[in-house]
Amino acid sequence: MLPEVWPGRRGMGLEGKMIKQKINWIALVFLGIILFSVVNVNALGETVGTQDVTVCCEKTNSGLYCQDVPEEDCSDGSEFALPTSCASTTPCNPGYCYDSVEGTCLDNVPQMICTDEGGTWSAEKPGACNLGCCILGDQASFATLVRCKRLSNFYSLETNWNSGIANEVMCILAARSDEKGACVFEHEFETTCKLTTRSECTADVGAGSVVGDTTEEIDDDEGGDEGEEVLESPEGCQEVNTDGSVKFCPGMLCSAEELETNCGPSRETSCLAGREEVYFVDTCGNPANIYDGGKINNDEYWSYIKDKSESCSPDQGNANSQSCGNCNYLLGSYCSVVNSETASPTYGESICKDLNCPASEETGGEKRLHGESWCGFDSEKDFTFQETSQDASTDVLNEALSNLNAGGSAPLEFFDEREVPVGSKFYRYLCSHGEVLVEPCADFRNEECIENNVAGYSEAACRVNRWQTCTSIYKKADCENTDRVDCIWLAGIEYVILGGVFGEEGGSTIDKSSLGNVKAELKKFKSGDREMGSCVPRNPPGLQFWGAEDENGEVQNDEATAFCAQANAVCPVTYEKGLIGGDWECIENCECLETMVHLKRAQLCMSLGDCGPKMNIAGQLGRGKGYKIFEEDL
Amino acid sequence: MHRRNNYKQILTQKSMRKRGQTAVFIIVAVVIVVLGILIYLLYPKISTVFGMDAEPNSFMKTCVEPTVKEGVELLSKQGGYLNPEGYVLHNGNMVKYLCYISSYYVPCYVQQPMIRAHFEQELEQMIQNKADECAGDLKEYYEDRGYDVSGGTNAEASVSVVPNRINIVVNIPMTLTKDTTQRFEDFKFSIPSKLYSLLMTALSIIDFESTYGDSETTLYMQYYPDLKIRKTKLIDGSTVYTVGDVNSEESFTFASRSLAWPPGYGFGG
Repeated sequence: MLPEVWPGRRGMGLEGKMIKQKINWIALVFLGIILFSVVNVNALGETVGTQDVTVCCEKTNSGLYCQDVPEEDCSDGSEFALPTSCASTTPCNPGYCYDSVEGTCLDNVPQMICTDEGGTWSAEKPGACNLGCCILGDQASFATLVRCKRLSNFYSLETNWNSGIANEVMCILAARSDEKGACVFEHEFETTCKLTTRSECTADVGAGSVVGDTTEEIDDDEGGDEGEEVLESPEGCQEVNTDGSVKFCPGMLCSAEELETNCGPSRETSCLAGREEVYFVDTCGNPANIYDGGKINNDEYWSYIKDKSESCSPDQGNANSQSCGNCNYLLGSYCSVVNSETASPTYGESICKDLNCPASEETGGEKRLHGESWCGFDSEKDFTFQETSQDASTDVLNEALSNLNAGGSAPLEFFDEREVPVGSKFYRYLCSHGEVLVEPCADFRNEECIENNVAGYSEAACRVNRWQTCTSIYKKADCENTDRVDCIWLAGIEYVILGGVFGEEGGSTIDKSSLGNVKAELKKFKSGDREMGSCVPRNPPGLQFWGAEDENGEVQNDEATAFCAQANAVCPVTYEKGLIGGDWECIENCECLETMVHLKRAQLCMSLGDCGPKMNIAGQLGRGKGYKIFEEDL
Repeated sequence: MHRRNNYKQILTQKSMRKRGQTAVFIIVAVVIVVLGILIYLLYPKISTVFGMDAEPNSFMKTCVEPTVKEGVELLSKQGGYLNPEGYVLHNGNMVKYLCYISSYYVPCYVQQPMIRAHFEQELEQMIQNKADECAGDLKEYYEDRGYDVSGGTNAEASVSVVPNRINIVVNIPMTLTKDTTQRFEDFKFSIPSKLYSLLMTALSIIDFESTYGDSETTLYMQYYPDLKIRKTKLIDGSTVYTVGDVNSEESFTFASRSLAWPPGYGFGG
């Protein structure tokens, strides 16, 4: 492969002709375009570059604590400014901060901040920070013991904390596994009832119990259509205390007629904390089964606890249904009090509210479910990343070539390399409670949005764009290893990057040492250390576009200049001329003189980042050409 | 013809009477509305006019509550700080960084691990002056009503943010003597609020930010259906979070800068 590309000197040797030789080095130099944009953030926190010399500052000028900043950014009142990293400074040593009041633990809290605020600091995770399952009635929280005690205290419940349950999902399941039923007891000379779990139905259940809430009773003449048969508890009621004044009836509702309590069916409904469905409420204020308008007079439905799957339309969201309160959060409905945005149910004042997002421009023209997320970009983009950029660019390249050959200019699409204009970024859209929330990913395309669609349900996330090492990868397989990097491979000699081979001033001149560097690079091709092509970021990153202005008003930005200079290249073109006259004739690497190669070099330049003749997000081109091609004789 | 004229006259008179009645109704309605507004605006002072003795606790609540609500609203927009240091200006608000790191590529250091306690302290300071003022008003009110009032100076406000409400206690020992003697140690009242759960969610987000450098907001939405979280990343690597309750429409806004990535390789500073 190599001899075909760089054949000049070998050809001379083989033919052994007496020829006068001239080698023209054609260097394609691409300089980063200067962007004009306004930084629209007014952050009063200090930021430091990767090469700044910093000290560990107790307090910065902006009032932040324990930050590694340049010494001049330290506040005058700062207690210390140590020439070391804050991570290895005792007062700022980050560790665990335990709040003994709330029972919460935070990691990465500087010692000084934690103790000043009244917390307990430790370098290692303390035992008090261990999580366990906290059961709060039929709810659960995966929390520390102290947190569990506090929450239980808030809700007047006994502390039920289990350190043996080591994950959140199991904890939630544990909370739901406690058997529910009617807890029947005597209160103020009446037999009343409370819907509880078995563990909550104790001898003192009546203490402070709230019963007898006023709800509309159903008239006797509207009695149940199946009220004739005698109803019995599935497992029978069990006495909780010795005198039998408190009984627990598993699987039964307080409104069951045979329990002979003062609780009965009503027309009222309610939303329950932590539950998605609309529930009937009995005359004592206890929740009953899921609201089903068709079963308001059904004695059995008011006697036995029914599972969600046994209730009305269990496979649907039932949003705005007037007769069914079997809401489904995953399908985009949740219990809500009736308001102007919802429909009105046949009974009660609660309904399954629609949380989904209607089709709109933001949703990509399709209806989105609550919780669904999808990707967006400042211009049209394929988020599956299935396309190969080289294929996608071929048509644009051909069109550009055709235009240039006809004496015109390249089409604008050419300057919008892979549709990633300067200033663009990714977005994550999220449907939440009927509203589309827009979450921008990190600026400078340091994050890209990835999207996955399973059975029509889309999930998206902003993920770090791993572009940093692309240009130092020289093999196609390594370049396309998506487990490690986010790069693509541009195959062909015209994409070979020989950046950094120049001697001075960011690659604007060529000298003898440059030639030596090129030779060293060429050896890598021969040895197999390097393949013919170029590895570039799949989503070219943005660059720092600001810097100090020089006397000509030009922005000086060394990093952007050096970054874009990675696309600089030299192409040794060999000419020959006969001893007795005639014109110079190109004999080697003549393709480097062709417009198509120039265009591909420009394309490569744009692929690196905000370099070259790239268009910005407003559809405007940079001030200059963005690159230059020049010849030098050696 | 004459009859017809008479009939017309009667009709006209009836019509005028009806118009007069309508006018009276409108005037009465306007008076009622104006009185309603005045009572709303001037209560509890209006109670003096009508010769009623306001209950001291409700007097204090009516007097202090607006300041508490204003304070909660302002603090909630500024990350729990009245005069934040180390903040980002977002939508015209100074949003405090509760977690910050000046360097690139590393997770942030927590700047405020006790968000709830700090919020309570700030709110206490904000309502302290108002509590003093209200205590003075209360004293004056009862003195005007012929009571002998002792104490009632140096009010001390304390706030506790708990699930579903904010509890306010104004500690101000006061003795009222007229026919009998009543002694008050403190005045307590609550405001319904979801602030506690918002602050705890904020703390959890801070935990994610300081540990992993970022947080996944959809997770919270799955577990807490009433929660809505807005997350906005800014150009310098900061993130502004607004945690809101969809039912009460309360929200809490704070900022974080964690695991920031520089433009390019970050050599430019």
